[in-house]
Amino acid sequence: MATISIKNLVKEYGNVKAVKGISFDVKDGEFVALLGPSGCGKSSTMRTICGLEQITDGAIYFDDKRIDHLRPRDRNIAMSFETYALYPTLTVYENIAFPLRSANWSDQKVDEEVRDIAKRMELESILDRLPNELSGGQAQRVGLARALVRQKPNVFLLDEPISHLDTRQRHRMREFIKHLHLELGYTMVYVTHDQEEAMSMADRIVVMNEGTIRQIGTPDEVFNDPADDFVAGFVGEPPMNFIEGTIEQSDGRWDFKIKDQQFPLPEWVRAQGEKMPQQVKLGIRPFYIDINLSEDQPYDLSGEVFIVENMQDYTIVSVDTNDLRLQIVASGDFRAKRHQKVFLKFQPQFIRFFDLQTGKAIKSGEL
Amino acid sequence: MIELRNVTKRYGSTTLALRNVSFDIRDKEFLVIYGPAGAGKSTTLNLIAGIVQLTSGDILQNGESLVGVAPENRDMAMAFENYVLYSHLSVYENLAFPLKAKKFPKKEIDERIQKISRLLQISELLDRRPGFLSGGQRQRVALGRAIIRPATLYLLDEPIGHLDAKLRHRLRGDLKAMAMELNATFVMVTTASKEALAMGDRIAILRNGILEQIGTPEEIYHQPKNEFVASFVGEPPMSFLDVQPVQSDGKLIFRFEGCENSISISNRVAGCLNGSQTDFRLGVRSSELTIASQQDENHNTPAQVYVVEPLGYSNVITSKIGEGLVRVTVDSHIRPKVNETIWLSLDCDHLHVFYKEKAISHPIRNQNANH
Repeated sequence: MATISIKNLVKEYGNVKAVKGISFDVKDGEFVALLGPSGCGKSSTMRTICGLEQITDGAIYFDDKRIDHLRPRDRNIAMSFETYALYPTLTVYENIAFPLRSANWSDQKVDEEVRDIAKRMELESILDRLPNELSGGQAQRVGLARALVRQKPNVFLLDEPISHLDTRQRHRMREFIKHLHLELGYTMVYVTHDQEEAMSMADRIVVMNEGTIRQIGTPDEVFNDPADDFVAGFVGEPPMNFIEGTIEQSDGRWDFKIKDQQFPLPEWVRAQGEKMPQQVKLGIRPFYIDINLSEDQPYDLSGEVFIVENMQDYTIVSVDTNDLRLQIVASGDFRAKRHQKVFLKFQPQFIRFFDLQTGKAIKSGEL
Repeated sequence: MIELRNVTKRYGSTTLALRNVSFDIRDKEFLVIYGPAGAGKSTTLNLIAGIVQLTSGDILQNGESLVGVAPENRDMAMAFENYVLYSHLSVYENLAFPLKAKKFPKKEIDERIQKISRLLQISELLDRRPGFLSGGQRQRVALGRAIIRPATLYLLDEPIGHLDAKLRHRLRGDLKAMAMELNATFVMVTTASKEALAMGDRIAILRNGILEQIGTPEEIYHQPKNEFVASFVGEPPMSFLDVQPVQSDGKLIFRFEGCENSISISNRVAGCLNGSQTDFRLGVRSSELTIASQQDENHNTPAQVYVVEPLGYSNVITSKIGEGLVRVTVDSHIRPKVNETIWLSLDCDHLHVFYKEKAISHPIRNQNANH
């Protein structure tokens, strides 16, 4: 196993700057996810680590050894890609066995290993098939099995390895890959556009957008203390609500004002006093808004129900207030009619603020 | 009302796309047809629209057979997966296009456009060309054009399926709200379980051309008829455990495959058993059980933590009982370590019991439960 160190990595395709000078480290045995929307540069970064693409500038190290000039096969990596080509003339069994046979394993050991991973990944019934007889999801699992079959690589690189699987299989593979990582301690880099995959599996997440890194942190940090409004909006489902408004001070009260409604701000904002900018963007996740049908409880904002989506275990309520549509996650038995008046209370400890111009988070300790 | 009666559709001599499917589409309901690829969802929609012909069976509209009725005489509007806008036309002209093609009078075209654009919140964009719209705005315009034609029945084939997750999430609410305002019947095809639950008044679940179940989201979620429906609706997916009903000290118990642990069988569930010793499986949703770090009155089944997945709001803990894996959703501050022993509240009156993949018992639900 090895550490990975990315230093000021730049990757250009002609005039297009896909990766604009990013740096991050992956510790020995760590599971790091590169997360972002399509076109954010995550796959370009991955392809330079694999050696499938040349870097434009910067450097890549495995441990203390610079490797960005090495051919892929000299980097000692195992990889699985969204559309990783299987050997078309070999059966599923032989595709999975291929890396082991190349490493001169005995037939018996190869057989044990292939059958073990095939069982874990529900491939036992298709071991004799050829790649062109597989569905997209099956082919993807075979590609993943071939990458995960026991070897001693420096690093594991996985690029959207389970994106074509159905929900049930995706959850199983997620659990399986994470457990395997804990068991074997591989250094892993995992590219995904799916925030739930990154959250559920990774030790740390590198959130990317437009060729830059927006935040590096644990799932907790990225979810609870997003560095900016991009990260805040990208991580979490349903996404965080944002409300632009003004902070107003009068008679020792600090209020957040949106058009004709206002409500008092949490203690920590008042403690920041004059240092808070006047115009800010408030962020609050749908789960942290309490919703009531009557106004006998204290509330921050009122609005009317746009739509109620009952997901059985929970309910997503979309509420219109001041030209804004907010989403609230309520309990599974919440019921309300369209256009019904509702009253919202934000849980103060979960309110976040972002700079209106830069989008950067305004944090309680940093002003 | 539309009635599908023993509908079978064969393509060529070998492909059986739909097998003997019967169900009703009620007036003014939002019916979601949900299933994996190749289930026969689009075929069902195309048969209702009259674009493809039945092999056998019948489809009735208000009691009269639609066989032989041309698509344009069916009082239905069908939106296809192609949602590309004409780039040289304004939003208004894009919306007007399907109505002009049908020779609607100018005044009525204008009224429809005002109404639909208000519903979809695109009234301010009517003069713009598609190139000057955001991705979300463009999708709303495309959606508007799909349903601009007045009809009593709208057929939508994955209308938001090609969008990214965030946009899909927003638009499904817009689409459902619009359907409620239009006061028409909607049939929508989707492959996303969250869309089916969020939007459907009822959900019809198809697999391999067979109707597996039709019912309200509540029925589908809480009383799935078989393991397929159970595993295909809800996230995280239902966990399944192989068990064997055996007698132990005069009591009937379910013994878990691959270990010595067991849970007792209540009289209620015992009454659903059939004397068989094999092919039983327990199904449990991650929200239907709880965990404890120590054994107590309610937490009697030991399990080894396999993996802990933080999701921000909550964590999903997957643990092993013998060879089986069970997922439990817990508060985000609960984080047991991998391989640690935890105790699960597995109680056969609060589980789904399946025999040969068919449900024989569902959890007793507390209707007033507060989550």
